[in-house]
Amino acid sequence: MQIEELYQYSDTVNELLARYGVKFGIYKNGTFNEQLFPFDMIPRIIKKEEFTCLEKGLKQRVAALNAFIRDIYGKKEIIRDGVIPEEFIYMGSGYLAQCEGVLPPKGVFTHIAGIDLVQGKDGKWYILEDNLRIPSGASYPMIARTICRKSSPALFEQNSIVDNRDYAKLLRRTMDYVNTGGHTVILTPGRYNAAYFEHSYLAELTGAHLAIGHELVAENDHLYFVDYSGKKELVGAVYRRISDEYLDPMNFNSESVIGIPHIFDIYRKGNVAIINAPGNGVADDKGIYYFVPKMIRYYLGEEAILSNAPTYLPFYEEDMKYVLEHFDHLVLKDVAEAGGYGVVFGSEMTKEEKKKFVSMLKEEPRRFIAQEVIDFMDIDIYEEGKLLPRKADLRAFVLMEEEPVVWESGLTRFSRNPDSFIVNSSQGGGFKDTWVMAE
Amino acid sequence: MAILSVEHSDQLFWLGRYSERVYTTIRGFAERFDSVMDVKTEEYVEYCKRQEIPNIYTSKEDFVRRYCFDESDPNSIYSNLMRAFDNAVVLREEIGSETLSYIQLAVYAMNKAKVSDAPLIHLQRVVDNIMAFWGMADDDIDRDCVRRILKLGKQVERIDIYARMKMAPKKIKKEVKRLNGQVGKTGLQYSMVRLAHLNYIVEVEPVDYDQIVEDVDQLFDEGTEKIVAGF
Repeated sequence: MQIEELYQYSDTVNELLARYGVKFGIYKNGTFNEQLFPFDMIPRIIKKEEFTCLEKGLKQRVAALNAFIRDIYGKKEIIRDGVIPEEFIYMGSGYLAQCEGVLPPKGVFTHIAGIDLVQGKDGKWYILEDNLRIPSGASYPMIARTICRKSSPALFEQNSIVDNRDYAKLLRRTMDYVNTGGHTVILTPGRYNAAYFEHSYLAELTGAHLAIGHELVAENDHLYFVDYSGKKELVGAVYRRISDEYLDPMNFNSESVIGIPHIFDIYRKGNVAIINAPGNGVADDKGIYYFVPKMIRYYLGEEAILSNAPTYLPFYEEDMKYVLEHFDHLVLKDVAEAGGYGVVFGSEMTKEEKKKFVSMLKEEPRRFIAQEVIDFMDIDIYEEGKLLPRKADLRAFVLMEEEPVVWESGLTRFSRNPDSFIVNSSQGGGFKDTWVMAE
Repeated sequence: MAILSVEHSDQLFWLGRYSERVYTTIRGFAERFDSVMDVKTEEYVEYCKRQEIPNIYTSKEDFVRRYCFDESDPNSIYSNLMRAFDNAVVLREEIGSETLSYIQLAVYAMNKAKVSDAPLIHLQRVVDNIMAFWGMADDDIDRDCVRRILKLGKQVERIDIYARMKMAPKKIKKEVKRLNGQVGKTGLQYSMVRLAHLNYIVEVEPVDYDQIVEDVDQLFDEGTEKIVAGF
């Protein structure tokens, strides 16, 4: 494969991405700034057999996570059977008491899961994080692929690369599967949201209506979209890109002005599907991550196909001892943070910082997890005429219909800083396309 | 069935208005600039008066720079283009990424012109992109109501600007005729009384330009005599 063919058009492709507004927003010092999302032309390539294995593992993981959420807001058998301590459920910020006893349409909670993985230098894949609330990022490789196919048609003609532009179709099927009857709406907080490009692009490609909160009204236990002629149209599915907290001021944060009053009541009655289901945060908490292999065993009676990064919970005495003894070799994560924030490397702390951190850790052991630093595989990026190795992760997308379906691609994010493991776009990272080979 | 929210209908209308405003003002400005350069150096004063924009400019050079590119001047062409963009960017799923991309390109061209040593020649790229936007909108937007509301905004703005610029009555009549064909198909509420008056006033000589501006601007704002046009 002649990869050189690809990067000779790097500037033109990035210009086209700018033309289509492929951006993300960042709030810094109270000001909103939109930035182009830097795209590197060299893709991550995953061989067919490797992807088949990943696919199996991802489906298994999401099936277990869905079963877990259903159980937690239902019978709570996993707690009763002592597999997960209840502190990890009820003390986490993702648990929502309002969701107790609520079963969403067709029993689906995790409609769209974004599972972050890294590949170790030995080629082994590790799960880093499960994102079950509003994972974003699928639109970027999709639009990049459309443009790259124009810039290097021969490359796509001569190699069997699975076309990833079917994500919108998968998403539409996922939304239609749970739709209770009526229109499908993508609910956005508005133009100044970090992922607004994605909201609007997915609405365009899926044919769903992009709406802001006050365009939807609750009436007679149903949700309606108000047309410009004043007509009310029934809504059956809402793919919300608003966090639980702001979704419904009558049931969650009463100060929210971007949500829809009473949407949760309608959902509770089974008259609208909310995608992803409220309360999913209970399962993607960094503390719960530790228990996912146990969940797989508990609900599916199988061993986890994909491994977690070796993780320790200071909550357990034995793990706390290990963490304190190996502090300098571990990465510590605040379970309440996301987006690459709240992540500190033991080796990078000063004596003073370490002392302060350890005392915080002892005071609030539930708040942190510790992980072995995985020396993950570098991927080349092309910058200023040179190939440079950078750390990169992969966000795989698993969509739930009757069974979980894994999108045959993914968002590969890379760190632009040679010394950093943090790949998040909000911290200056770029993205790559992910090619899954068909043969 | 496709639905369109009140917000989107409003944003489509204003996208039509602002993009037309940018297009017509750049073209009008380019013509006037030609004579401001060395023949009628104070003509910009009259231009401001006709456009009903405050003459905050200290010289013709100041006018050229600020009227075109001053982000903080709400009457500048730059500000109007940004308003067009603000409306366009929230309409991606209605107008499509391709159509939207031409407004984005117009913004890039405007930013390039702003820092250029020869800004006026670069404004041609902005005009080109607005033209391409309209071409793409016509070609690519499937939903009739979306395309019609967008075009209605363009029509209304054109009549407004032509009247403010006291252009030949023949040109204004032509645009009013087009408006008549457009407004009833949009599904928007409008004042039939105003429309009838507008049709009457463009036929009367001498033309009352101020009345035309008032009629066209009140067409959708008045609370009485509104009717909902059929599709």
